[in-house]
Amino acid sequence: MLAGLDLFGVLLDLGLLLLIIYQFQLVSRSFFHVTLLASVGFAINARLPLRFRLHFFATLSVASLAVAFGFVNGAWLLVLGGGLLAICHLPITFPWKVGALLLAGLVLAALRAGVLAVPWSPSIWPILGSMFMFRLALYMHALRHEKVQPTLARGLGYFFMLPNVCFPLFPVVDYATFTRTHYEGDAAATYRTGISWMLRGLVHLILYRLVYLHLVVDPSDIADLGTLAQHILSTFLLYLRVSGEFHLVVGMLYLYGFRLPETHRLYYLASSFTDFWRRINIYWKDFMMKLVYYPSFFQMRRYGATRALVFSTIIVFLATWLLHSYQWFWLRGDFPVTVEDGLFWVILGGLVVVNALREARRGRDRLRGRSRWSGALAVRTVATFLVLCVLWSLWSAESASQWLWLWTAAARFDAADVLVIGLFLAAGLAIAGRNWNAPSLGGANRVASIMPPVLRTRVALAALVLAGTPQLVEPISSRGAALIASVQEPRMNERDRVLEHRGYYERMDNVARLSSQVWQTVATRPDDWVPLTETAAWRVRDDFLRADLAPSTRITFYQAPLQVNAWGMRDREITLEKAPGVYRIALLGPSFIMGAGVGDDGTIDHFLEERLHRESGDSIRFEVLNFGINNYSLTQQVVMLEERVMPFAPDVVVVADNATMHRRAVSHMLAVLYAGLPLPDPELTALIEATGAHQLGHQGRPIPFEIGRRLARRFELPARMPWNEAHARLRLVGDDLVGWSMRRLAATARQGGATPVFALMDIVGEGDMRAVPAMKVAGNAGFTVLDIRDAYAGHDLKSLQVAEWDRHPNEAGTRVLADRLFAELARRDMLPLAARPASGSETHTALED
Amino acid sequence: MRDEVVETVRQYIIDTYLPGEDPRALGPSTELISSGILDSLATLDLVSYLEGRFNIELDAHEVDTASLGTLDRIAQLVETKLDAG
Repeated sequence: MLAGLDLFGVLLDLGLLLLIIYQFQLVSRSFFHVTLLASVGFAINARLPLRFRLHFFATLSVASLAVAFGFVNGAWLLVLGGGLLAICHLPITFPWKVGALLLAGLVLAALRAGVLAVPWSPSIWPILGSMFMFRLALYMHALRHEKVQPTLARGLGYFFMLPNVCFPLFPVVDYATFTRTHYEGDAAATYRTGISWMLRGLVHLILYRLVYLHLVVDPSDIADLGTLAQHILSTFLLYLRVSGEFHLVVGMLYLYGFRLPETHRLYYLASSFTDFWRRINIYWKDFMMKLVYYPSFFQMRRYGATRALVFSTIIVFLATWLLHSYQWFWLRGDFPVTVEDGLFWVILGGLVVVNALREARRGRDRLRGRSRWSGALAVRTVATFLVLCVLWSLWSAESASQWLWLWTAAARFDAADVLVIGLFLAAGLAIAGRNWNAPSLGGANRVASIMPPVLRTRVALAALVLAGTPQLVEPISSRGAALIASVQEPRMNERDRVLEHRGYYERMDNVARLSSQVWQTVATRPDDWVPLTETAAWRVRDDFLRADLAPSTRITFYQAPLQVNAWGMRDREITLEKAPGVYRIALLGPSFIMGAGVGDDGTIDHFLEERLHRESGDSIRFEVLNFGINNYSLTQQVVMLEERVMPFAPDVVVVADNATMHRRAVSHMLAVLYAGLPLPDPELTALIEATGAHQLGHQGRPIPFEIGRRLARRFELPARMPWNEAHARLRLVGDDLVGWSMRRLAATARQGGATPVFALMDIVGEGDMRAVPAMKVAGNAGFTVLDIRDAYAGHDLKSLQVAEWDRHPNEAGTRVLADRLFAELARRDMLPLAARPASGSETHTALED
Repeated sequence: MRDEVVETVRQYIIDTYLPGEDPRALGPSTELISSGILDSLATLDLVSYLEGRFNIELDAHEVDTASLGTLDRIAQLVETKLDAG
């Protein structure tokens, strides 16, 4: 039994871990609760006699289902899983049990695919899948081959294993290892290892947040060698999330005495592809070795060891590819089989085969126990890392052709790019030259430390707690404090914010490529939260606009009423002719102008008009007209303004957009080009033709690269440019498209006697106030420019968004936007008001009162 | 018999995978697979060695930590096979 002082020490460490999880909001809210449960449970478990501990662990694991899912869904999870476990112990022969399990799996798969409605929450599917999709095979393997007698506690503890309930991606723990290692060895040392690995997991997850929020480069933003290198590096580094979660899981299991294998040990420092495969997800590797590799090898070895090795390795990688799609099915409900996945697994498998053959012939170069820096090892390790980065970028790409096209950016570089990449490589070589993972019996290869491991872990935990308190960091470095604050909440990066609100013209179904953040958001949406494009209010057009709002329609959109008037505006019915004395303000913009998720009386035009009348004492009649349409780009607004808005004779035209306006402009142009539609202006036509992207609209098969299309035409095969290549070419002129739009919009407004205003704003968020080039472009074009991205600052952001899963402003959020817009227009004397507020901030305060 | 097997396999592992290490540091319960001393290829080589040296035949499901994870477990496996044979 654990000594009192040791127990106190572990509990102290657990308290610090809980604080860090709370400060950084890591994994999920339910994970904090489950860790709290595990911490309290640990104090009891460590004091229990050994014979009761497995029963206690099983009870706690089952209790965690209710903690994470509530009683009803937790009970459903227990019933479904309990049913599968019961099948394993039916009094029938082994083959019949396997058959019964396959049948039960098929029924569950049909339900997962939505064949029938189920009474439980869809959110339990990924967890049920992660608990049973692979572990059932290992359990059945153990029942057949192991001598360990199965018990109910072992079965429940193994399948509902704490903290699986919080992790859809969970290590495939081997049943035989799970039972064999329970309290094998010194308990105090086991607990200390658990705490240390959980700390490692937290560090990985915080680093992941830093990479995700501050390093990731969207493929559409890759313009040169520097951004290409950043994209490729960050794609691989995003895997820190998985390694962090696995460390947390395995560390927590150590607190209950399960001495499982160490996972993801220094995997970025693998010196070969076989080394990488052995280090990264050791649970998956062991699972494949046990159920696929060794059985294949033993079957094949009569043909010679080399042939058996090659054959078995190929089978392992093909099975891994297939099983990843199978895993995806249980986690997300679809079964992606993509060229990129296939290429990734085939290439990685091929590299591992070549490495394995080399090792089989020459012996594995382990540099046993060597602590000196080795140039050969450094080069090998860095080369392995670089190849894996490249492979990972292929795996994460939307398509192979998009990935190929990315590399054209490598031809554009400057001295700064080369210098930064060179410095990174030098640092990588310096670190990688030491053999950090050489197996050694005497521990001679360990890094010397001035502190004992327990103290080292505790100091690191305390340091993280202090670093996680921005108020303490602020006096030392305000930038550091801001950086820490930025990773203390789970939020989406810019790329995912765009994906979250993908446009109707995004033709590719890339759900499988959505990041975890977007997927989590999408997965929690109710079924009736459908895009506007799937409603009766959406009208597809065969012209430059591509789509607009269907006139005179009334629908429910995002659970709120939405009325479209006879002019195709999300507004009340109005007359085209402006009555004498009326001051008209036209609002153009995407969803936050149209009003997504708010009722007809909760839109920005409604609140702005209400405010104008209140401030003017009703001395002037204001009409604020809403021309906002979901996901409209600036290029569409050009035609919208000319054809629809100006006939209403507005006095002020406010064009609103957010910082990603160039992306939507590019996407809209792609849709226009793909449909082969004429462009409305010679300047725009010249701009597009200079990129060559107009070839997207040609008849024929999509063939990448100019040389490929020329070759195809030589054989009289009609060819067009693929979507991704056109996208890559157009994104280089994204800012030019914005510039063209701004000039046309400002000129059109002025010719019609209206004052053009450009407002930079967004859906609910902290407000990233970094400079956006388009603001200068708008100013040069003749717009009065308003930057109101920080409109929501100082408010409780959650209270301003329409739903937990959707950050469009609700009525309160829209009112905040309207008031800020009013204040900015008033401050610039753009409103005919009798008494004007002195400043925007005063208005803001008054409103809050 | 068991001690003899432990000693034979210990020497094989030291010679093949840990040259230069002190044989006394490789104890009967030292973890061979989870510590990284034996990787998958080395484990298969060990299987071939055991089959050749002791004239036994192993099954695929016996190639795991539970059977080959330590010198003790290897000796127990060999003993069982020899007794059965």
